[in-house]
Amino acid sequence: MKKKGGVRQPPEDLLFTFFNGLFFAVFTLLCIFPIYYLFINTISDNRLVQAGLVNLYPRGVHLNNYRMLLNVSELFTSALVTAARTALGTLLMVLASAFTGYLVTQREMLARKFIYRFIIITMYFNAGLLPWFLNISMLGLTNNFWGYIIPAIVQPFNIILVKTYVESIPKELEESAFIDGAGYFTVFRRIMLPLCKPILATIAVFGAVGHWNSFIDSIILMGSQPRLYTLQHRLWIYLNQASNLSRLMESGGSLTEADLAAALNGRITSLTIAMVTIIPILLVYPFMQRYFQKGIMLGAVKG
Amino acid sequence: MPKRGSFRASGALTAVFRIYLAALFLSAFIPYLNPARLSGLISKNASLFTLLSYPAIGSNFVRALDRGWVEQPALTLTYLGTLVCGLGIALAAAAFCVSLGNVRMRRLSAKLAGGAALTGLAGTAVLLLAHGAFAGAPNPERLDPMLPPGLPACFGLFGLALLLAAAVWLTLPKPAGDERYELKPKYRLFLMILPFLALVALFSYLPLWGWRYALYDYRAGFELTRETFVGFRWFRYLFSNAATRADIVRVLKNTFAMSGLGLAFSWLPMAFAIFLSEIRFNTSKRVVQTVTTIPHFISWVLVYSVAFALFSTEGFVNWALVGTGIIQEGTNYLTSGENMWLKMWLWGTWKGLGWSAIIYIAGISSIDPQLYEAATVDGAGRFAKMWHVTVPGLTSAYFVMLLLSISNILSNGMDQYLVFSNANNKSAIEVLDLFIYNLGLASSSTNIPLATLIGVLKSLISVTLLFGANYASKWVREESIV
Repeated sequence: MKKKGGVRQPPEDLLFTFFNGLFFAVFTLLCIFPIYYLFINTISDNRLVQAGLVNLYPRGVHLNNYRMLLNVSELFTSALVTAARTALGTLLMVLASAFTGYLVTQREMLARKFIYRFIIITMYFNAGLLPWFLNISMLGLTNNFWGYIIPAIVQPFNIILVKTYVESIPKELEESAFIDGAGYFTVFRRIMLPLCKPILATIAVFGAVGHWNSFIDSIILMGSQPRLYTLQHRLWIYLNQASNLSRLMESGGSLTEADLAAALNGRITSLTIAMVTIIPILLVYPFMQRYFQKGIMLGAVKG
Repeated sequence: MPKRGSFRASGALTAVFRIYLAALFLSAFIPYLNPARLSGLISKNASLFTLLSYPAIGSNFVRALDRGWVEQPALTLTYLGTLVCGLGIALAAAAFCVSLGNVRMRRLSAKLAGGAALTGLAGTAVLLLAHGAFAGAPNPERLDPMLPPGLPACFGLFGLALLLAAAVWLTLPKPAGDERYELKPKYRLFLMILPFLALVALFSYLPLWGWRYALYDYRAGFELTRETFVGFRWFRYLFSNAATRADIVRVLKNTFAMSGLGLAFSWLPMAFAIFLSEIRFNTSKRVVQTVTTIPHFISWVLVYSVAFALFSTEGFVNWALVGTGIIQEGTNYLTSGENMWLKMWLWGTWKGLGWSAIIYIAGISSIDPQLYEAATVDGAGRFAKMWHVTVPGLTSAYFVMLLLSISNILSNGMDQYLVFSNANNKSAIEVLDLFIYNLGLASSSTNIPLATLIGVLKSLISVTLLFGANYASKWVREESIV
């Protein structure tokens, strides 16, 4: 019989440990290197970047690219719009999820089961892109800031999360409050909201990342209102311009010096915007990681 | 003391009253009943609710105002009438809510409904004035002034509301002197959740009504009329038109290829988790887990910008390949249309692998350690333990994930494919979702009915697949997944 504790490992085990470690080291590197590469390209000398000479470490460090972004007013507007939708959209979504999730646990409610199903079933079907778009446009929410916010307020999945969480809280807390004469609003505000903080934090983190990252709704809904484009939508436009120019260059089209400069500029600008957009996520990520992980675990819980 | 019979009659009346108020509220969302469409310049598809924001009216008349075809007062009057009608509707909604209470509340409700009706009637009167202003405008034929069917309809609706409110008021018994306003908890809770139900109905159920666009020869900006109704013509077109059929076959091939690759490698996150758990050092395990989940939180636009930086001609990949002598000259990998399926799958894996593994990592930590000890006692080695203890402990979670991805086989989402698509790779990258977007919203010659129809078929098939998967799950695991 083998000894327990693995003081000495057999050679094939050592080999396994080595290759296993190697695989994860490589994959981890693959996940982080692209972001690092993006970063060093935005702070290095632009001419070296153009020549493809900045690959492993920054050369000729400068921050002009970031300073340059400050002068592009449309970017500033987009950043403002994105920040506003992230803050307001997340706040409303969290409050609505908390309140609705609490309400559906109340057994006295008229047609409670039906109402709950009415909400939850919408996770499993959707009418499709065109009807969705035509509907939003009929409601006057296209080219309108509220088009980002209102359709995203009620999220069935979040309601499931809150409901499950509230059901795990002892009923007595609520009942004693009712006996003391508290109404539903008071119980919600004074008891449920504080007790549900962990799950609400999870919802908030996911909601905020979702709002910050979304660009499809900006592309589809805000077509004729460039003031309302989100940061990521802008980034997409810049990337398209840059890659179109570089495609032109490759196809050997006659390009002027100015076109080349624009292509370079477009590339650097796009990468810098990308970096600016990634940074907030990377900054909150370490603090929020435990909520992220809790989130997916809760996702495994059925409603 | 009122007699039993009259009380029952008043109960029936209250029920009718409530339903009527709810219907009155809903009428504000029906374009046909819009009383404020006083000019052909206002869209036929606009409801009273849509017109409650001034730009929705004003934006139609910018040119007319410039040319002096119409004067501002006519517009202001229209907007004022719309607002007053809207106020009436809001009061009717309030009356509906209050009507769920006790007798005293119901008396209040009758009063509110009366107020709603009078307000609404005033609003229609204002709109009638506005109609006069339109008809008397300097250049009426440009404005196409009209008396919309909604105007008399609204007049009738509010008038009937007034009669009903009066009837309810008269049949309700006088409340006892000390009776207070009271609403039963079940109604109170119902009213609290009602606004959220309205949001769900508005954004998840109402779009289903948009399926009717598949039955019309509809073009953006035009209207659904009896003349443009074509029934199932688009359905036949979808199967009989050779070009469309070829497109659909190509797009479905892409869709199934990309989803198929995902399905074929759906065990990858599980393997990732199992091998990660074999790492002994907790710190490095945590670092790996933290770093590999980062890409999940980066949007596809950002992934594309990363790809753009790494794979373009000046990028890192070309530098490395040329530097090591594997290739002679740099190429732009993003613009080439080769191996799109594989490339898209690789990007998806890069973005999602670490994240999808979390659920299995948690699954491993919940496996009873005694099982491992018992296996060790029985002489199982590292791999035997992985295969005979860990894998069986995770198959249940894996099965759920697999069934869900089978039911999502048609829905790859469009973000990834939209950002990576360009003229060179379009034919290989276009999945169903992206095709619908391109067909209905993005191309130069959009075909909204056809895109709607394809979306409808997709939705129906997806729901069927989901139910099938759920049924399979019940059958195999005796547990449902939805």
